[in-house]
Amino acid sequence: MPKEIQIKVGFGDQFRDLTVRIQDDDVKPWQPGDRLSLIGQSTPRVDAVAKVTGTANYSYDQKPKGMIYGKILRSPHGNADIVSIDIDKAKKMPGVRAILTTPEIFEDESARYAGAEVAAVAADTEMQAEAALRAIEVEYDIKPHCVTVEDARKEGAPQVGRGEQVNVARISPRQRRGRRGSNSDMDERLARQEAAVGKVIQDSDVVVEGEFSTQVQTHAPLETHGSVCSWEDGRLICWASSQATFGFRNELTSNWGGVRAKSCQILSEYVGGGFGSKFSAGREGVLGALLAKEAGVPVHLLLDRSGEQLSAGNRPDSVQQMKMGVNKDGVIQGTRIRSWGTPGTGTGGAGAHNDGIYNIGEVDKIEYGVRTNTGGAEAHRAPGWPQGAFALEQMMDMAADEIGMDRVEFRKKNDEHPIRKVEYDIAKDRIKWNRSLTRNGGAETCQGLGIASNLWFSAGGGGASALVRITKDGQVEVRNGAQDIGTGTRTVMGMVVAEELGLEMNQVATRIGNTDDPQGPASGGSTTIGTVTPAARLAAYHAKKELMEIVADRKGWDASELDLKDQEVWRIGEGSTGMTFESACALMDDDAIEVLKGRPRRNYEGFSDTNAGVQAAHVEVNQATGAVKVLKVVAVADAGKILNPLTSESQVRGGVIQGVSFALFERRIMDRQKGRMLNDDFENYKILGSMDCPEIDVVLLDVYNGKSNTQVMGLGEPPIVATAAAVANAVSDALGVRMYDLPITPKKVLEAIAKRDAAKEVPAQKKGERL
Amino acid sequence: MVSKNKNPEKDGVSRRSFLQGAGAAAAAAGVARIPETVIAGQNGVATPEVLGPEAESILLKVNGADKKASAPPSTTLLDFLRNDVGVTGPKRVCDRGSCGACTVLLDGQVVDSCSMLAIDAVGKEITTVEGIGTPDNLSRLQKAFIEKDALQCGFCTPGMVVSCTALLEENPKPSRNQIREGLSGNLCRCGTYQNIIEAVEHVSRKGG
Repeated sequence: MPKEIQIKVGFGDQFRDLTVRIQDDDVKPWQPGDRLSLIGQSTPRVDAVAKVTGTANYSYDQKPKGMIYGKILRSPHGNADIVSIDIDKAKKMPGVRAILTTPEIFEDESARYAGAEVAAVAADTEMQAEAALRAIEVEYDIKPHCVTVEDARKEGAPQVGRGEQVNVARISPRQRRGRRGSNSDMDERLARQEAAVGKVIQDSDVVVEGEFSTQVQTHAPLETHGSVCSWEDGRLICWASSQATFGFRNELTSNWGGVRAKSCQILSEYVGGGFGSKFSAGREGVLGALLAKEAGVPVHLLLDRSGEQLSAGNRPDSVQQMKMGVNKDGVIQGTRIRSWGTPGTGTGGAGAHNDGIYNIGEVDKIEYGVRTNTGGAEAHRAPGWPQGAFALEQMMDMAADEIGMDRVEFRKKNDEHPIRKVEYDIAKDRIKWNRSLTRNGGAETCQGLGIASNLWFSAGGGGASALVRITKDGQVEVRNGAQDIGTGTRTVMGMVVAEELGLEMNQVATRIGNTDDPQGPASGGSTTIGTVTPAARLAAYHAKKELMEIVADRKGWDASELDLKDQEVWRIGEGSTGMTFESACALMDDDAIEVLKGRPRRNYEGFSDTNAGVQAAHVEVNQATGAVKVLKVVAVADAGKILNPLTSESQVRGGVIQGVSFALFERRIMDRQKGRMLNDDFENYKILGSMDCPEIDVVLLDVYNGKSNTQVMGLGEPPIVATAAAVANAVSDALGVRMYDLPITPKKVLEAIAKRDAAKEVPAQKKGERL
Repeated sequence: MVSKNKNPEKDGVSRRSFLQGAGAAAAAAGVARIPETVIAGQNGVATPEVLGPEAESILLKVNGADKKASAPPSTTLLDFLRNDVGVTGPKRVCDRGSCGACTVLLDGQVVDSCSMLAIDAVGKEITTVEGIGTPDNLSRLQKAFIEKDALQCGFCTPGMVVSCTALLEENPKPSRNQIREGLSGNLCRCGTYQNIIEAVEHVSRKGG
């Protein structure tokens, strides 16, 4: 039965009392004024020693006895069907133990992009596997291709897909199928919406509009996708580079996955990055497992860098047409949005979140997915948000400038988030918003400031259990089978258990990334910490209760008066009894107390359902070369209760760095003639390096947020939402001309400067029009 | 020792040996080795010596210990370390010298172990991250990495630790810009650069 408790929620000087209903065995969230010894203290990662000494064994590093190597053959053509595959020569090559083809395994004869999997070989050495790939003879039926949204949208463009698949499909609002409402009803509704919102915009004091575009960004985790697979007595053991251990296992045991293992264990103790691209086993995961089965020995199949760049996921590009009506008092009246993006050969998942964060009045928004003959998109750290925020935040600055209002004040006017309202002022103060800078002059370099906001929704949810074990000799261990992809989940899981048991960090062992342990979530939607830590705390709390009952029973004390603090048994409100944790454990009759607890499925009420966040960027632009240097980014972030400031700050810095990299450098370059990605490597696909890294000033707000017993919200995704938008606004501020396309390369900067200077020489253009 | 390699080069990786490696690896063919003396034009006649493609016994000195295995002469130093003698600290990420995750020291010099041949490292002292410090005996830089949270997923970390160690060896009091330059061959995707710079500065302030 749920029970009601009183809690305080809020932050800074904004606190209020709430009555919430918690699951009856749940523990009350920490309250302001509670004496906490670890939570809120910067705590080094529990796996840091292994990582700095090279002893952390990633999937890529595994070498079970007898292991051989798998490699994948990929189609070189932009769009083709596989007619036949001759593996006879390859089979006879030295060291070759197994060959599989994708038409046979996946029942798919199409190879719709250059990089599509065609066959896979396992051989004793990598060189032998590569030699065998070269000996496979494939006959293709080569078709015309489209590799850009622009090409695929053209009248009479070649068909990307097969059968009835069209290149461009409306994805939001969805095309209806079946009996529930017809498409003509929907078309009529959209037409009415367009007319109504069009009138609202028309009737506003000021109208601004622009077309914005963003590029395809690959995830580029340093450890590539794939796994090392070993079949032992019919059981599949997979060391997988995965951000969803249980999802990976389900794919390999399911009927639809192709492998259909009766029993499967996934091991992902260390994962070299994921960023949203490692939820699925993927074709490489299935091929690795099946090659190992066929060869009868363990197989190492992790992608090479080219395969990773071509086939392992990316953030879709976008073209966003925005039109906004604003009144002179600063209130946005209405916004019209049309967007297009390519998720590869499918149509779903290429939307841009350009209608969130602010109140943008009446909205008329339609999104289209565009098929292209390119590698498929995967969820990429805040999917849809950085590209959407880029367009929205340029519009916010354009509108503010048009009505002559300060850019921050204009945002505040259209924003009700209680936390963000405070964050704006912190960001303004730390970036020195009102300072005078050399802007837009004849000087060789000019500088500018830009601001933008974050939004996220991530208090976690059901789907995790934790096992806490306290042994008679005082050892403590906590286990959850989810993964830590570099976020610090493992460390905070240990911290909440140590806090609950009144122990030091080094007294709690943590185990993670093993599907034989209790169920855990995928690292997606920034929900891992909010899902895993309440389960861990709950299990520790109940393990403690069991231990206190043993102590009370032996000593004739009252268990309800006992607690653990500072490695000793305390009497609540009085202080230490003098009994150490170890001597309390020694009173056990059994060898250990083991408690397995599931996280409550539902969250209760809290201070805020969303994370906010504001970022401000200070940039310098060289007007002679077009080079942009981001000097500083102030990132004000909140994520409910900050459990570990050290790793939280790292998450924010990481988001900012990937955001700057997206703003200035990264882009997939497609050869439109040959239909192939040109920069499937790290020389030509440029990610931000140490010389380009701005100073990042992170400010974390600690919010007693309620909702769960650890009150934490995720922080992986929110910090990347605003960065590119803030940088682009800063560049526009510096130059005095709007930037419409990412990445902001020197060429685009020089073109913008040329247009700006040309515009100065002709009579003033209509304001708000794109130059 | 590679029995036929009588001519180990003196100064790290030359462009020539790199090109030999790249070509040989692609074709899995033999490696033609032209003695230095011929290149220098000091000797009139000499025939290029061909190694492989069969496996050779290769003996390397890694972190002070002898590591021996049989591998084709076209094997890169990185693959020899990882696949043949089980030293997996250096990571394979780009496999063509653009990311630094495979960084090791060769007689104290920073090299990308993916972009040179194992046989070109014969007779030299190879130091990987495992040789910088161990879990029971961390170097001061490794401790600073932990304290400053200069790692997230950790996959670039072995290369970063090796590069920063070499940087501090060469210049115990680097400026912030010199640290950035020293790290410019190493990519991190999670975004730990600022923390790494802070870790190096922390060690540098306390004295090299």
